[in-house]
Amino acid sequence: MRSSLMPLAADRHLNALRGRLRQHAILYLFIAPFAVTTTVFGIWPIVESMRLAFTESYSALGNNPLYVGLANFRSVVLAPQFHDSLWRTLLYTALAVPLNLVSALGLALLLAHPVLERGRTLFKLAVFLPVVCPEAASYIVLKSMFNQDYGAVNYALRSLGLPPFAGLTKPWTAFATLLAIETWSHVGLYALIFLTNLQLMDKSLDEAAAIDGASRWQALVWVIIPQLKPAMAVNAIYALIEFLKTFSVVYIVSRGGPQFSTTFISYYAWTKFGSGQYGEATAIATLLFVAVFLMTGAAYRLMNRSDYR
Amino acid sequence: MRRRIVTCVVYGLASTVALVFLYPFYWMLMASFRSQAAILSEPLRPWPETFETAGFESLSSIGGVSIWTFVSNSLVITGLATVLGVAITGLGAYALYRNPRLPLFSLIRYGFLIKIMYPSMMLVIPLYFVAYQLGLLGRTAGIVLAISSVPLVFFMFLEFFRSVPGAMIEAAIIDGASELQILTWIVMPLARPVMLTGILISFLINWKQWFPIMVLSTGPETYTLQVALISLNSELGVNFQAIMALAVLTVLPVALLFVLTQRWVMEGFMAGSIKG
Repeated sequence: MRSSLMPLAADRHLNALRGRLRQHAILYLFIAPFAVTTTVFGIWPIVESMRLAFTESYSALGNNPLYVGLANFRSVVLAPQFHDSLWRTLLYTALAVPLNLVSALGLALLLAHPVLERGRTLFKLAVFLPVVCPEAASYIVLKSMFNQDYGAVNYALRSLGLPPFAGLTKPWTAFATLLAIETWSHVGLYALIFLTNLQLMDKSLDEAAAIDGASRWQALVWVIIPQLKPAMAVNAIYALIEFLKTFSVVYIVSRGGPQFSTTFISYYAWTKFGSGQYGEATAIATLLFVAVFLMTGAAYRLMNRSDYR
Repeated sequence: MRRRIVTCVVYGLASTVALVFLYPFYWMLMASFRSQAAILSEPLRPWPETFETAGFESLSSIGGVSIWTFVSNSLVITGLATVLGVAITGLGAYALYRNPRLPLFSLIRYGFLIKIMYPSMMLVIPLYFVAYQLGLLGRTAGIVLAISSVPLVFFMFLEFFRSVPGAMIEAAIIDGASELQILTWIVMPLARPVMLTGILISFLINWKQWFPIMVLSTGPETYTLQVALISLNSELGVNFQAIMALAVLTVLPVALLFVLTQRWVMEGFMAGSIKG
């Protein structure tokens, strides 16, 4: 039985503190597996990779790694193959991002068309299927579409009376083939992001434009597309990161050839690993990471500065 | 009349688009039932001459390993990674939402963001060394843990928890509910749809994985269908029909799953993508 108010208040205070501590403890317990997997399978390998970038390759995996300062970075940056693969990656990204965004926007506008009532789900399904389909299978199948002997692409071109497409047999057409294959498999996600935003859009603006006598084209350019700016920004960042890191399609379809025409920076780093040049390979990985990090940071900044949403 | 023309044009365009996206899948299915010679002589034949199952039969053993090994690896690795990943990222996102200001919490969040910004294929190589040091190389456990956390699902959970009415949790705290009770009685029932979507999307995304599995394997014993397909494809003197048959086996389960659950899958992708 308590006789005064003072100890009761102190008691309550203590109880609250204990409660909060218990709450904190259980939240730490909740986050522990997430923290551990992120550290062991994310941060540790990243730090390890950065450490290896400063070691001499042949000693990198031994017990006494030889640290060579920036020597790996120097030899990587001075190698002409590095410059070639870097420029190739930048060109590929510069082509792939607008190509994907424009086709995605076109697809979204088509699929959002008010006339398309029946079958809209089916068309959405078709466009999105490659996004959930395993790349291992879809890239192999797409590669055979461009085959010179039995590919569907050349068959279609020939039946239209057009000259055949060299596909993976010539450097520049191989570059274009990878671009086409990747667009086919990724564009569905970007299209769906546009489509969702189109369907959430303020219909009254569209109606107001129609009352003011705007043509469909004018409404598209002045009313609809400006409202898609946030979706455009999200898509642009995704696409930028996705295409700067392009690897799977090269590994599965072209193996960097012919004549290095599809050796992008990440595949170049992988070939360095294959030949045991761990120091150089991790130096390239570190450089690419810094580039992606800075670009994403800059893109976020740009997005936050302009008043989206 | 004008409306009729517009309808025709729109449906025509949409059908062409659908054909471009679906045809390769159809072609793969047909090619898996045709011999190499038949494909070469008449590549675009819409229906096989005879349904030849030689391609599928030749899959019974790939490089001396039974197809069932790859099938069960695919199911076990994808299934375990999905269940673990949803539990781990779900609880992690929940803790971050409940009290983001606790010491170390923002560090954990930034750590995760850095991990997903790092070029994933290049993360896999040092991951190999880490798995080696932990004795997890060539073990299913290592592969499962390495691929389990799906960023999209993490963002989906974050987005969902933000929509949970704070007043409900406040009221429960005033009523003296413990943190565990809040989770099991209030949050979990609300989170059931997002958990199911998370499981679905994790499954689809983990099923696509091949590079980490290939690198963290020491032999075909831990290969999944995808990795087996890639190694079959890079062999010399390939058996094209067998490759197409294996591609069908790899695609069919997820294609069916996606068609049956398309609404949730697409909504889930959107929920995870908006805040990326």
